[in-house]
Amino acid sequence: MATTEVHPASEPARWAYLDRIRTRPGPFTNPDSFDGKVVAEAMENMKILVIGAGGLGCELLKNLALSGFKDIHVIDMDTIDISNLNRQFLFRQTDVGSFKAEVAARFVERRVKGVKITPHNCKIQDFDEDFYMQFQLVVCGLDSIEARRWINAMLVNMVDEEVEDSYKPLIDGGTEGFKGQARVILPTVTSCIECQLDMHAPRAAVPLCTLASIPRQPEHCIEWAHVIAWDQEKPFPDLDKDDPEHITWLYQKSLHRAREFNIPGVTYSLTQGVVKNIIPAIAATNSVIAAACCNEALKIASNCAPFLGYPDNNYMMYSGNDSIYTYTFRHERKDDCPVCGTLARPLPDIDQAWTLRDLVDSFAARPEAQLKKPSVRAEGKTLYMQSPPSLEAQTRPNLDKTLVELGLVDGQEIGVTDPAFATVVFKYRLKFKS
Amino acid sequence: MLKIWSMKKEQQKDENSAEGNGAAAPKKKKVTAAQLRAQKDLSELSLGTTMSTEFPDPDNILSFVLYVEPDEGMYKGGRFSFTFNITPSFPHEPPKVQCREKIYHPNIDLEGKVCLNILREDWKPVLDLNAVIVGLQFLFLEPNASDPLNKEAAEDLRNNREGFKRNVKIAMGGGSVRGESYKRVLI
Amino acid sequence: MTEIVMSQTPPILHGPSEKERKYDRQLRLWAASGQAALESANMLLVNSGAGTVGSETLKNLVLPGIGRFAIYDEAEVSEADLGVNFFLDDSYLGKSRSRGVTELLLELNPEVEGSWYPNEGVRTLDALLAGSQVFTVIMYTHPIQPEQLSQLEAYGQKHRTPLVAIHSAGFYSFFQINLPGAFPIVDTHPDETAATDLRVLRPWPELVSFAEDLTKSIDDLDNFEHGHLPYVVILLHHLEQWKATHDGKYPATYKEKTEFRKIVQAAARTNTPEGGEENFDEAAAAVVKTLVAPSLPSGLKEVFEYEHTDPVEQSSGFWVIADAVKRFYETHQCLPLPGKVPDMKAHSRVYIQLQNIYKAKARKDAAEILEMVQATPGGQHVDPAEVDLFCKNAAFVKLINATGWGSDAETPRIDRLRSVAAAEFAADASAELTLTPLSHLPIYLALQATAHLPASQPPAVGAILSAIAALVPGAERNERVVQAAHEVARAGAGELHNVAALTGGMVAQEMIKIVTKQYIPVDNTCVFDGVEGRCQVLRL
Repeated sequence: MATTEVHPASEPARWAYLDRIRTRPGPFTNPDSFDGKVVAEAMENMKILVIGAGGLGCELLKNLALSGFKDIHVIDMDTIDISNLNRQFLFRQTDVGSFKAEVAARFVERRVKGVKITPHNCKIQDFDEDFYMQFQLVVCGLDSIEARRWINAMLVNMVDEEVEDSYKPLIDGGTEGFKGQARVILPTVTSCIECQLDMHAPRAAVPLCTLASIPRQPEHCIEWAHVIAWDQEKPFPDLDKDDPEHITWLYQKSLHRAREFNIPGVTYSLTQGVVKNIIPAIAATNSVIAAACCNEALKIASNCAPFLGYPDNNYMMYSGNDSIYTYTFRHERKDDCPVCGTLARPLPDIDQAWTLRDLVDSFAARPEAQLKKPSVRAEGKTLYMQSPPSLEAQTRPNLDKTLVELGLVDGQEIGVTDPAFATVVFKYRLKFKS
Repeated sequence: MLKIWSMKKEQQKDENSAEGNGAAAPKKKKVTAAQLRAQKDLSELSLGTTMSTEFPDPDNILSFVLYVEPDEGMYKGGRFSFTFNITPSFPHEPPKVQCREKIYHPNIDLEGKVCLNILREDWKPVLDLNAVIVGLQFLFLEPNASDPLNKEAAEDLRNNREGFKRNVKIAMGGGSVRGESYKRVLI
Repeated sequence: MTEIVMSQTPPILHGPSEKERKYDRQLRLWAASGQAALESANMLLVNSGAGTVGSETLKNLVLPGIGRFAIYDEAEVSEADLGVNFFLDDSYLGKSRSRGVTELLLELNPEVEGSWYPNEGVRTLDALLAGSQVFTVIMYTHPIQPEQLSQLEAYGQKHRTPLVAIHSAGFYSFFQINLPGAFPIVDTHPDETAATDLRVLRPWPELVSFAEDLTKSIDDLDNFEHGHLPYVVILLHHLEQWKATHDGKYPATYKEKTEFRKIVQAAARTNTPEGGEENFDEAAAAVVKTLVAPSLPSGLKEVFEYEHTDPVEQSSGFWVIADAVKRFYETHQCLPLPGKVPDMKAHSRVYIQLQNIYKAKARKDAAEILEMVQATPGGQHVDPAEVDLFCKNAAFVKLINATGWGSDAETPRIDRLRSVAAAEFAADASAELTLTPLSHLPIYLALQATAHLPASQPPAVGAILSAIAALVPGAERNERVVQAAHEVARAGAGELHNVAALTGGMVAQEMIKIVTKQYIPVDNTCVFDGVEGRCQVLRL
């Protein structure tokens, strides 16, 4: 240990405990990447994004504000429900119906002086790459796999090997009952959320025919009401799983069906649980997992201690059901990961006067894979598909159009598949000749 | 801030990766994982002579119609169509498949819901669109009476196979079976 | 069947109450019984040092709705508190910290009551403990003055109150639960998949005749019926056939079970549209798991073999029931039937019949045990619901802290620490070969060495190491212990908010488990390392 000196940035008395750790090296600090003199100030200038202002999100905002981050953004499209109040501690009864991101941001700003929290009451999909590019770190407290995959793909795709700032570490937490996990994703360096999809058990589904003809469990009756009876009877135009009237309809349908088959156990609460796929959640577990995530955020931002991600462990599993058990391990990258396994390669020297046919033919000469029957798409635009026949016929006229006529621009990403390469898809970034 | 960039460079040195130079270009409009996977599945689709596809919007490959014209079995001579809707969660979640015509079939209900294990409880991301299509084809060759969605049709198949075959013909011809009227689907 | 006519917009019947809606996500874990236990709990936090881990723990207990809490904290709010403790703000600077934290915690849940000490009326910890409040559990944070610790321990002994020590400094933390005696848990919430006992090797007459009825002309069943025989019935049928050709014995060895599985699989019909039968697949898959001769699970064995030293403890409902279950086991060579039947392919009607046969037998077993319980002196007061719960969970009952820590402890605590240290250091020496994670004992030692050091005196490495030497002689020369001492010194008795919040989450989980007597608490020390992001549980 070279020094015991503390290097505060502002309000040294207030941040004394934090500065002792983040601005001074310890026995495990890597001296090559740590510079205690610049840490506090650097962290004050960082912009950090929190996704989700729910159970984990409330904790994340509190923890980051008390970890020395000053410029925090938070995205959440949801409004506050009464069932949030048993754990989302930034909300009160009177806040029910207001936007979570808004209320959470105001509360933490009020409580922790000097921190700026910018709320976005919308979906993560409403923002593009330019928005996400402004942050140095992204911390997620989400309950849906779909949203996790979306932000993961966004951050991985943003990586430009030439631009240091394009690498955004993603820290992700999740809980269920007394269990949870925290993981760090360094895009294209560690395994990503897509590589780790097998860690999410798919929701157990019951065959439709069991629901239709041989129900045995209360859940079968509820799913029947939800999947089959609702469609047949359409009691309301659209099913709103948060509308008690809709849930009551499903509950009564389920109850009726359960009586018909002498199946015990259908309750309102079970109906709600099955239909909304409710996952039990408590403050204590959120506290553990969100803090584990923010502990990594602090270490990544300051380098004051080794963090999850590289080169070893990147995943911590936590279980509190039977004593306490953690398992911290390295989840390996998957070479064939559709998100991080195939980063777009630059496709240089493309003449914008080329026809699509010229481009398609050029793949046969590519060194990495001589593609004889390539199918080519850009996002939102099917350029040419060799199969199925109807799509081939529909896209064939494109072959004689020039790239410009097809609306392709410099830097555009295209996906190329070929039946000869069953397990891989190729992504290329067009680079036009100037 | 961590040196993720230098770590990456180090990793690349180790893997002694090729490629990569030129100025940073603006990168817009990324191809999503679900779309890439659907593209791959479609370019490997083997439809045979009894099936064909229709894409209402060729630029949206996540939504299309599959036509099935069985050339053997009890549904021979009919023409059925299924809508395929692939969600952004594909292939983590199965495609959503629904029959557009009202059909008299033990495993397809009158709303067009299909009881096929790989479309629900047995779906795995390693399965592809070909597997789904093979499964649909199989339903026309071997309607299964033991686990029905349409209980009446299943009872007929179980108790009176010849009667069931007759009912299939009537339904496909646009007649009524057990009080339900069907549209003509014969080609 | 009469048709029930439903209106399009039915009234909201049996809808949840306001409180049920608020607590919905946790009631799905510990049900109304657990909630009632929480609501009658009164928790004391004796806070000191940087003071955050205690506030964070209480936050996670106020939110789910414990009845009451009290905070005893002699500190006044300083600038440093505001950079680490979320439940304080500028308006409390210079004022009582217990008051600030109490007031801001109470905002989280209007149903919880809280009080703070010392105050005008109650000036010392001693006075608080001598007052009329009875505490369900007591948590205290390090550093703590030795005399206050003795006061808490005396209170714990007298009132049989669990005591929890919590220490959070920099990247490290631990907590240690001291239970007042053996702590049994019945409602352990085992995994759904583990919780089935179908008793196919010891079927009772009703089950036997049900299976016989369904299978007496099994070969004449049409494919529809054959394909819907429940797998339990399939197993019972083929077990009978097996016995007929094997001197009345069941398949016992692995080889026999494999052979039996092949027989079951071969009995499936293949002339079906799918070319097989799902129910026979289920039966074959269940062979190895289901054909297990009844044996005593380790948790229950510990309960049966537990030697009582405390007559008060022995006369509690749990031990009276345990004794009856033990006698039941000796008589029947099996545990009371839990009565749950997993879902399996079957017609609705047949499955419900099967379910009812299991339920009826479970009720019968429970009734037999209840009778034994009520015949025991003092057993008349045992709640029949407690007997039912025990019977349902008998295979998963767990005993925590079986060897105690109080006056009855056989070995003094320091000896236990030293023997654990020897074992942990020995394991570390071969950790590289065995691919096991390294011990967290060095972290525990380094923190424990500063357990009584006032926060105003930040610990120096030398002082930490000599305190460790007093705890475990020789440990101060261990390289990892020296590193841990440096890391503790780096923190200077300060907390990192994240580590305090994480530890507060873990402690709150444990408090919930202890108060609700559900799930299984830590036995007895959990050490967290925030450098590596990993926990270890040690019994110290």
